[in-house]
Amino acid sequence: MKELQFLYRMMEIQKGGEVAALATIIRTKGSTPRKTGSKMIIFSNGTIEGTIGGGCGEAEVIRKALEVIQTKRPAKHIVDLTNGLFYEDGGICGGIMDIFIEPL
Amino acid sequence: MMKQSLFNKLSQSLEKREEIFLITFSEHSEQGLIGEKALIWPNGDFYTEAPLSPTIQSKILQSCERLIKRKRSGTFSFHWNETNIECFAEYFPVPLHLIVAGAGHVCEPVAQMGKMLGFFVTVIDDRAEFANRDRFPDVDEVICQSYMQYFKDIYLSDQTYILLLTRGHKYDVLSLQELLKRKEKAVYIGMIGSRRRISGVFEELKKDFSMESFDHLYTPVGLDIGAETPSEIAVSIMAEILKIKNQKSGLSLSTRIRDYAKMGFHEGATN
Repeated sequence: MKELQFLYRMMEIQKGGEVAALATIIRTKGSTPRKTGSKMIIFSNGTIEGTIGGGCGEAEVIRKALEVIQTKRPAKHIVDLTNGLFYEDGGICGGIMDIFIEPL
Repeated sequence: MMKQSLFNKLSQSLEKREEIFLITFSEHSEQGLIGEKALIWPNGDFYTEAPLSPTIQSKILQSCERLIKRKRSGTFSFHWNETNIECFAEYFPVPLHLIVAGAGHVCEPVAQMGKMLGFFVTVIDDRAEFANRDRFPDVDEVICQSYMQYFKDIYLSDQTYILLLTRGHKYDVLSLQELLKRKEKAVYIGMIGSRRRISGVFEELKKDFSMESFDHLYTPVGLDIGAETPSEIAVSIMAEILKIKNQKSGLSLSTRIRDYAKMGFHEGATN
């Protein structure tokens, strides 16, 4: 039901005229920190609501989302957590996830 | 971008306890259609405000069939006019119903956790000083009614989880009898109580009900984690409910890997 609350938030943001983007995990392969359907809202100042798993992958998505906010065009981004397994900067999970980012 | 009218349809559907899929175009040769939405109901009903031809609509329905059957979110793609179209179908299940009978100490953390875990939570008690909104501001329903009357015709399905945590064992047993008489079954009935007390109750109930009627009954309630305080008991109960909901063992995830650990986690270790 959490996802429904996200949609509700999304409608609120749209109504309020705030500029933001919604990122949704639409496909996962292997072990990922969050499941398909998990969402995160990104605002133009870089703040977020929700999480798609944290770490470097999330930072990548935030960067990409800021582009989406500017261009107003949806985009897809692939977060690859298979690299750097066991290293400090790598994802610990070892899977891959496709993220769909849409402007609000 | 989601239209308010489409969002309203989605949330209304869930309020009516009808599950639904939200479709988002994630790839399309026409850039303008990316991000467009549609709704699909398991009976095949389709709703959209995007300019989609009937052929595309039926293609989407077709591709979505597998996800509908499995009640799962997922991404599918298909070819149309020599281009690739990809859609993300997000499954919105009807929230599971958690009914907590008895609004006492244990009920508070149980109801809270139930909400945290996304259940539609109902608290029922026959005493108005316990069954009130001040005590349970966050739950979905607080009902002040006699337990027996309530359980006589409350809607039951494989999405109903019931906890009998009333102040007296007598009320738990009366409620249980009422529930066992029903033709429809809840997927989980947890009843609090000591082992000794419960065996007495079983002796009584065995006369009136078949053994199968107890299949969904979990008593004493909860997983064996040594819970004592109301919050601990709530964790133990909710862990058991999740175990049933997700059909898992309830064991520590490390149990299986421990054998490997004994081998020293060596890559390619053989027995």
